[in-house]
Amino acid sequence: MEASLEIPKGGFSFDLCKRNAWLESQANYGSSSIIKKAKKTGTTIAGIIFKDGVVLGADTRATSGPIVADKNCEKIHYLAPNIFCCGAGTSADCENVTEMMASNLTLHRLNTGRECRVITAVTMLSQYLFRYQGYISAALVVGGVDSTGPSLYTIHPHGSVDQLPFVTMGSGSLAAMAVFEAGYQEGLERQPGIDLVRAAIQSGIDNDLGSGSNVDITVITPEGVQRFRNLDKAEPKYKSKNPLFYPKGTTKYYDEIISKVAIIEGDAMEQ
Amino acid sequence: MQAPQLPTSQVEQPKESRFSPYQNNGGTCLALAGADFCIIAADSRLSLGYSILSRNTPKVAQLTTKTCIASSGCNADMVTLQKYLKFKIQMYLHQHGKEMSTPAVAQMLATTLYHRRFFPYYTFNIVGGLDQNGEGCVFSYDAIGCFERLKYTVSGSGHALIEPFLDNLVAYKNTDNKPTIERSCDETLELVKDIFSSAGERDIYTGDFVDIYIIDKNGTRYEQFPLKKD
Amino acid sequence: MPSYMPGPGVDVSDPALGTTIMAVEFDGGVVLGADSRTSSGSYVANRVSDKITYVSDKIYVCRSGSAADTQAVADMMRMYLGMHSLEIGKDPEVPTAANILNQVCYENKNYLMAGMICAGWDERNGGVVYSIPLGGGLFRESYTIGGSGSGYIYGYCDANFRKGMSKHEAQEFVKNAISLAIWRDGSSGGVIRTVTITKDGVEREMVLGDKLPHLAKGWCP
Repeated sequence: MEASLEIPKGGFSFDLCKRNAWLESQANYGSSSIIKKAKKTGTTIAGIIFKDGVVLGADTRATSGPIVADKNCEKIHYLAPNIFCCGAGTSADCENVTEMMASNLTLHRLNTGRECRVITAVTMLSQYLFRYQGYISAALVVGGVDSTGPSLYTIHPHGSVDQLPFVTMGSGSLAAMAVFEAGYQEGLERQPGIDLVRAAIQSGIDNDLGSGSNVDITVITPEGVQRFRNLDKAEPKYKSKNPLFYPKGTTKYYDEIISKVAIIEGDAMEQ
Repeated sequence: MQAPQLPTSQVEQPKESRFSPYQNNGGTCLALAGADFCIIAADSRLSLGYSILSRNTPKVAQLTTKTCIASSGCNADMVTLQKYLKFKIQMYLHQHGKEMSTPAVAQMLATTLYHRRFFPYYTFNIVGGLDQNGEGCVFSYDAIGCFERLKYTVSGSGHALIEPFLDNLVAYKNTDNKPTIERSCDETLELVKDIFSSAGERDIYTGDFVDIYIIDKNGTRYEQFPLKKD
Repeated sequence: MPSYMPGPGVDVSDPALGTTIMAVEFDGGVVLGADSRTSSGSYVANRVSDKITYVSDKIYVCRSGSAADTQAVADMMRMYLGMHSLEIGKDPEVPTAANILNQVCYENKNYLMAGMICAGWDERNGGVVYSIPLGGGLFRESYTIGGSGSGYIYGYCDANFRKGMSKHEAQEFVKNAISLAIWRDGSSGGVIRTVTITKDGVEREMVLGDKLPHLAKGWCP
């Protein structure tokens, strides 16, 4: 009883690990249990260094098993005004890790009174991921421009770091890397750089079932950041000739209450 | 008292290697029967894991002038099974001097599948066509030969997404608004296209193209319908 | 029968340094060498990685095993040596560095997959090479090799190593040995990186993949 009244101290709760281990050990659960099903997501994310800065790219499909969970999600996350990060793996992990890091980098900026360096973000992220021994499944592409110029890193879920001029991650990383290996040159101009990343992500969208829908691009230069949401859109969907229409009363109901609602402010819900 | 647990080292455990003859190549099959027609359709994507192996591998095969079969599951088993059925149907034609009826093909498929009860063809089949009275008929199977004649059915990776819609839109389950006129062949064809483009949006193993066979008293017509490629 | 179809493995595999690494003492210093391949299963995750890592001005380590583990261990070592050299007011000595590395590797042996080589130059000992294999342990050698590719070159190294080689001879020995390992080992490849440490400083060198010494060409077209 006491335990349930305790106020959480923050950080992760491992309370359910024992239960989950027990569930997994039961014959009827095992490999098809919900615990494992919720895990994996397919993605294509990529980045390159060009003449003046960094281009990051990502697809917009989120999957859960064989089902497309979100057709237009955002995978390029903010870390600092000059640093952005693409995430692959479990979307909850990517989202929370990047959000936490964005907070920590803000505090770091306020403490030091200086712009954040990319290596600072990368070191903090890799030490965090290493501490959790790969259980936080976030595979990241971190790119940004700082006092040392443009830089680009990948961080694997176990916490290893690579620094390279062109990188890809996620289930579509092989398709995207094939495009980079064929087309990357040192000192690319801005537009050819963006186009190369677009082509790489598109290759992931076309050839990898875990990736799909649209292309998002973020360009970071010393002058500033430009974010292109859905720079390339998936081919238009087939329009039905006989859209479904259910007349009122199709589903039986027992009671009807009509209330007047006034919307004061705020956006209409996303369709 | 329990003995203290010794720390285990991270040395790799020996791995057991097993004979694994099956793979799932995904894909969705669908069949709808009308009063005097039958539409049978399947997408043409062949996949494995997160890879697309082919964008144009047909899953539907015409067996007689008024019978078609659609199969998803393991493509190797599907090819073998369909080849075997075609052979048996040809032999039937030679021996009896007439074409096999759709219900006869359906029964033969069930026998063929159950024959391999303990080493099954990893295929999920649908047989569709016209019966001896010229009525549309659809047969649905599991991998080991349990079958059933229905008005509509769906199998494969998009099964769970599509089946509830067919229950609602074709069988009019959970609704009081049952239309008095049955859906025409052309309307049914449009419904099939709608269903596949919707399933292609949400099921990663359904996409590329739909092969549609329309079977009526005039014979069998084929149509290809494009889906999204991502 | 469930028709649920899994995608690729649930967990992303930990990138590992299927590697060839080595370090050689010579007259007045050490040469460290490594290939540049990091693999994740059958995929080459990085073809130009740097497995010879700085830990203090005249001490470097070669890393083999899990990329994450060895990077973390090297980072720890860099921190310890930095603090140590501040305390003593001069550059740390190689045996000290190797001892720290051994302690980290041994005390965490159940959690790490790290096979390391520590080598460098200091005022008291000159050029020194230490090997710290998988479960920990500290072995001073006049030369040592490590990683998955090392199994292919024990014979070559034993036959061709001599004590008291010149700097140039030691460098050529390292390049030849690693190129032979790359030739045979599928988990090693890319370029050869070398670091030469003497009392005068540190030299880095890289041999591109298409410029490797090709010692096996005698029997191969």
